[in-house]
Amino acid sequence: MRDSATTYAGSTASPPGRRDFLKYLLGGSLLGWLASLLYPLFAYLKPPKTGEVEVSSVKVGKIGDIPKDSGVVFRFGEQPAILVRTADGELRAFSATCTHLECTVQYRKDMGFIWCACHNGKYDLNGRNVSGPPPRPLEVYKVILQGDEVIVTKNG
Amino acid sequence: MDQQLPRSRWFTWFDQRLQLEDLLHFLRKKSVPRHRHSVWYYFGGVTLFLFLIQVATGILLLLYYKGSEDLAFESIRFIMSKVEFGWLIRSIHSWSANLMILAALIHMFSVFFTRAYRFPRELTWLTGMLLFFLALGFGFSGYLLPWNELAFFATKVGTEIIGAVPVVGKPILEFLRGGGNVTGATLSRFFGFHAAVLPGVFTVILSIHLIFVQRQGMSEPLGTEPRAENEGKTMPFFPNFLLRDLLLWLIVLNVLVILAVFFPWELGKKADPFASAPAGIRPEWYFLFMFQTLKLLPAKILVIDGEIVGIAAFGLAGILWTLIPFWDRKSSRGERNRLINYVGVFVVMYIIVFTILGYLM
Amino acid sequence: MTKISSGRKALSLLTILVLPVSVSAHLTADRPIDQCFVCHESMGDKPSALFKHDIHLKNGISCAGCHGGDSSKDDMELAMNPKAGFIGVPKGDRLSEVCAHCHADANAMKSYGSSLRTDEYQLLQGSVHGQYAVEGKQRIAQCTTCHGAHGIVSPRDPSSPVYPTKVTATCASCHSNAVYMQRYNPALPVDQLEKYRTSVHGDRNAHGDSKVAECASCHGSHDIRPAKDAKSSIYPVNIPQTCAKCHADAAYMRPYAIPTDQYEKYVKSVHGVALLEKHDTGAPACNSCHGNHGATPPGVQSISKVCGTCHTLNAELFGSSSHKKVFDERKIPECESCHGNHLVEHATQDLLGVTTGTTCARCHTPDDKSQGYTAAKRMRVLMDSLSNTDLSAVTILNQAEQKGMEVSEATFKLRDARQALIESRIVVHSFDFQKFKTVADKGLSIASNAREEGDRAIHEYYVRRIGLGIATLFMTLLAVSLFLTIRRIERKT
Repeated sequence: MRDSATTYAGSTASPPGRRDFLKYLLGGSLLGWLASLLYPLFAYLKPPKTGEVEVSSVKVGKIGDIPKDSGVVFRFGEQPAILVRTADGELRAFSATCTHLECTVQYRKDMGFIWCACHNGKYDLNGRNVSGPPPRPLEVYKVILQGDEVIVTKNG
Repeated sequence: MDQQLPRSRWFTWFDQRLQLEDLLHFLRKKSVPRHRHSVWYYFGGVTLFLFLIQVATGILLLLYYKGSEDLAFESIRFIMSKVEFGWLIRSIHSWSANLMILAALIHMFSVFFTRAYRFPRELTWLTGMLLFFLALGFGFSGYLLPWNELAFFATKVGTEIIGAVPVVGKPILEFLRGGGNVTGATLSRFFGFHAAVLPGVFTVILSIHLIFVQRQGMSEPLGTEPRAENEGKTMPFFPNFLLRDLLLWLIVLNVLVILAVFFPWELGKKADPFASAPAGIRPEWYFLFMFQTLKLLPAKILVIDGEIVGIAAFGLAGILWTLIPFWDRKSSRGERNRLINYVGVFVVMYIIVFTILGYLM
Repeated sequence: MTKISSGRKALSLLTILVLPVSVSAHLTADRPIDQCFVCHESMGDKPSALFKHDIHLKNGISCAGCHGGDSSKDDMELAMNPKAGFIGVPKGDRLSEVCAHCHADANAMKSYGSSLRTDEYQLLQGSVHGQYAVEGKQRIAQCTTCHGAHGIVSPRDPSSPVYPTKVTATCASCHSNAVYMQRYNPALPVDQLEKYRTSVHGDRNAHGDSKVAECASCHGSHDIRPAKDAKSSIYPVNIPQTCAKCHADAAYMRPYAIPTDQYEKYVKSVHGVALLEKHDTGAPACNSCHGNHGATPPGVQSISKVCGTCHTLNAELFGSSSHKKVFDERKIPECESCHGNHLVEHATQDLLGVTTGTTCARCHTPDDKSQGYTAAKRMRVLMDSLSNTDLSAVTILNQAEQKGMEVSEATFKLRDARQALIESRIVVHSFDFQKFKTVADKGLSIASNAREEGDRAIHEYYVRRIGLGIATLFMTLLAVSLFLTIRRIERKT
């Protein structure tokens, strides 16, 4: 007697033991495989601890959050940059990498200048090196105001 | 004679509303011919599987990717470094894109050499070619999304070549770029194309393509006579071919994961539109043979720009290739057509040789 | 015919007597009498009085040699005849041209048996003095401005206005005149001579020493250029060589009993390399520390002020540290004791600490009552720890990057650790361990964090492969069982 085409294993062609083993093997490995598929999936969907993508800080923040006569250093791509708001309220941005030995500069309110802590280099608020070892001025970046968002770009 | 299997309550509930019996009957009847060229039947399914992988990983990436100029690169870096298994999803997406195009090429050439495009399957071939071009569009648009140096310049060069086409080239270039140059506007457009427009169109065309295949069954190469089902020269689609398909898909998935772990896709340097192009800019491998051809053409052929001649030649070749079911009458009549073999071998060799040249030079 | 006085008769006698002495080898046996001189001398005018001692007269050159005319004629009309070449008193640039007529002609000079240079006029024209004067009609200086007109003697002659002990007055006649100099360069100081006199050079020069440096020794004589001119002998890059001309010459300096190895040392130093090899004019040359005209080595108490003109932070810290008082009391030179003066080498970590070879160990011993020993020891340990942690962080992050892991953020943060290392090396000069610790600790924590991130990245790299292995295991099992299932299904049909 010939079995007509079956789509499911229902006949008694193979011994029960082997059949069961194969079913268990199939089921077990299917479960294991699904687990190794779903675990990364759910881990991916869980929000990472750092919350949001590290902005390359082209947007520095709202102008209302930056007081006059202050400076803030932020990350700009792979390099640090500094945004200075002068006492008159003007916004200026420069590369914060000192042209002497690449330390990170900062704004000194008491000097009214940008200062490098490593060897006392000083830059004026146009980025020009005015005192100390720095041989060149700081690279000047462009500041754009979009509404009340401050955006810093390299070339505008 | 159909065997009635015990039906579950679930099945009955759906069947009463949707008449699934007819569908089941049809599915049970589906068979796949077995002959020495059967192995090629798998490649359409592999392409489909890889597309599904792309959709899945693409949706996952969408949860974290940001498509603007200042955020795109950083968001991918974020995915690669901060999101758990983000590196895996991203690398799978990149590898699967390339493997999908490879699978599509193999599928297309196997259909070509087995003349499966002949009557009555011309429409299947046409929709398939359309799908292939859409897939290339996916590749081209997706490549820009990381906004890294290589992608930026590859897109610049690629759109410039399109722009060289007389009359329509310039408007198309501006449409693609969202302006005169490759900028953040280009990125936005490409993101829109890649994540919304192309998937929509692709899905529609793919459904049509699959419906045609279901409707007409598998084509058999000339020289292998169709036999009756119970002569052992076919196999049932359910469950035999399907299980084999699934097994192959499983292996392909594992290959993807292995590639993602051992050959992670690199991120490169962020694009700087004002920097000069680095040496060795070239498109992805599936465009390379055309790129290399254009590079080797002389500046002027007679009075026309060499580049335009090249573009026109490829355009013409593409059209002829797409219309092959209509000018290969012999195959439609069931006769051997050696010319097709020669054409096919020439095209395959050309692509391989020029792709290799593109990497060597 | 002119009146012949008795004086003139005497002169004629004298002339005959001195004639043999004044004949030069190249002249014809019978030298014609210089009638110009004879006449003008009899008049008793100044030029002829001066000309008596002039080297040109001694070499047989008559008044006509510069003024033209015919010196053999005693008739004024014939002698001072333009047709005979008489040019009268040359004015302005014409003056120097007259000198140059011989002095710039090598053949002419050779014919007089002279080995003098013949390029002075050309050099003068290219020098700062060759510029046009305020009135615009002639150059600022002519030959006669410095050498005199009629009583010209060799510069080696003590009576020459350009002899070392007299040249200072010659230069000062313009350069110490504020009103005069103001017309050319109001920013140029006019107190150089005054300052010069306070220096060893100026003091010895005033007491007749012709070996020490005077104006021309450093500035040159004919080719004087402003300090900003790269070809000037006092252009910063050229200054060490200019000073070394004397100060590196052991034989020349023997009477003065001071070392002559400064230039040799300087060339190897950080400052020397920066100035002479990298042409960084921000680096000090000899005059930056010693002064120009008032050149003096800085005193023991003022060394840190001098170094501090550039190394401000270090000087400030030192000045308020415990070392300042001790050093000054014991007359230990500041800065120099640890860093040297001419041979200033790269300040590395090896200077700090208590092991042999460090500068701290030269004074501080384990049982000294100051806390110097402990402070030095602890500072060195902490600094080593910081630089080692930074280095290991860089290594690990590099490894992680090579393995394809994304570590750009940690690499970025590491900049701050490197900055802390630089800042800590400055803060050493406070000799205060607590201050040092504050700066160094900040860097240390940043560097350790970065190293941890690198470790984590590498760990993750291996975890991924293990995860892959497990997933592949399941997949293989599934694939095998699928395959067997397929086979079984097909065996049935």
